[in-house]
Amino acid sequence: MNALDRALLVAARELAAERRHPDGLVAALTFTGLLVLIESLAFGPGQARQPGVASALFWIAILFAATLVATRSFDRELEDEAIDAVLVLEGGREAIYAGKLVAIAAVLAIVALAAGVLSLVLLDLEIALTGHLLLIGMLGILALSPVIVLTTLIALRVRARVALVPILSFPILIPQLVACTQGAAAALTGDASAALGWAGILAAFALVYGVLGLTIVPAAIE
Amino acid sequence: MIETTTAPFPTIRVRPWLGVLATLSSVIATFMALVWAPTDAVQGDVYRILYVHVPLAWLAYLAFFVVFIASLGWLLTKRPWFDALAVASAEVGVLFTGMFIVAGSIWAKPTWGVWWTWDPRLVTTAVMFMMYVGYLLLRSLSTDFSRRATRAAVLGVIAVIDIPIVHLSVLWMNSLHQLPTVMRAGGSPSIDAAMGTTLLVSVVAFTLVYLAFLAERMSIELDRQRRMFEARA
Repeated sequence: MNALDRALLVAARELAAERRHPDGLVAALTFTGLLVLIESLAFGPGQARQPGVASALFWIAILFAATLVATRSFDRELEDEAIDAVLVLEGGREAIYAGKLVAIAAVLAIVALAAGVLSLVLLDLEIALTGHLLLIGMLGILALSPVIVLTTLIALRVRARVALVPILSFPILIPQLVACTQGAAAALTGDASAALGWAGILAAFALVYGVLGLTIVPAAIE
Repeated sequence: MIETTTAPFPTIRVRPWLGVLATLSSVIATFMALVWAPTDAVQGDVYRILYVHVPLAWLAYLAFFVVFIASLGWLLTKRPWFDALAVASAEVGVLFTGMFIVAGSIWAKPTWGVWWTWDPRLVTTAVMFMMYVGYLLLRSLSTDFSRRATRAAVLGVIAVIDIPIVHLSVLWMNSLHQLPTVMRAGGSPSIDAAMGTTLLVSVVAFTLVYLAFLAERMSIELDRQRRMFEARA
């Protein structure tokens, strides 16, 4: 079994567990929906409908949802010590990282789609460039997920982990968050070249942190 | 496998001298900054905070670069000495970055009219500060020595990617912050010679203060590690 097979096996196992007991997905969907609603109310419908503000509210909600999904995913591993069995296997550490990355990105894609539809309906937003918006959404999730998975791994079995993951990951994710927000706002307003520029930056972040994670994870887990 | 003995640390021998040198150079730098350096034609005497602000900026970068090197050192060799260096540099770095932000804020009020502005460089520096506060928090919440050192080292490596973003953000974005005047690509520094000399002396003085603090903190950490390994044995 090669490295890719091992990673896909971990991802499939994770998604199967999520399908049987979708508590992580349900929690993230409820939390994201609630956050979009509360944020929009706090800003007021007038301001929240502005493309820049709506994009920022959406991505902040996704960021919190990502930490929730990742923390829940690793909680499941720790509950029955399943993670130890994977880690002792050859290439198990990289497989855990890559597999979790794929699974968490897939779950986040569902959450983002639901939260996106909710934002569009609640705020009555018009999309100028649908394809560009979907591209930003996809690359945004791919750019956020590696850092979230990596910091959750670092904080594994640490006290106050639920608070620690956002504290560690959010400062690192600020450039990605800016790119997601600006890219989505550009897609909403019809600025194709700006949207593609931000999409390029997000792709670079996804690649850099994806590779960095794979390189550093064997040393990160003891 | 980690080393369970801490080798004699060279800075312990130079530690007293570092303190003396740091004090002497700080006195000289203070005299040059407040008396010898000329008054700026545009900003008047307010600009003299430059002699604190710029060295603090340099130390913020240096301290976190040292954390990065020490983190790599720990990950590659598992020598506790590297972990002691990383934690010492991170703590001193957080202190100097905090002072850097405060000094910048004090300078911003008379020159820009505000204590704080959402300038990319300011924001990124504040983010860098928060990142290393998180680094220290991670360390404080982990109990096992080896796991704590490894986790912190991984974060130290990841976080360093933020430092070039801090420096380059002023160039990438349409920033309110002044462009680099000393270390700029192509051409000599645009600062007056006397001011440049004073700045250089200030940077040296602050660097010696950093090294003195680093040596003291490392000594405490190595002592703690020694006691921990002795208790285990």
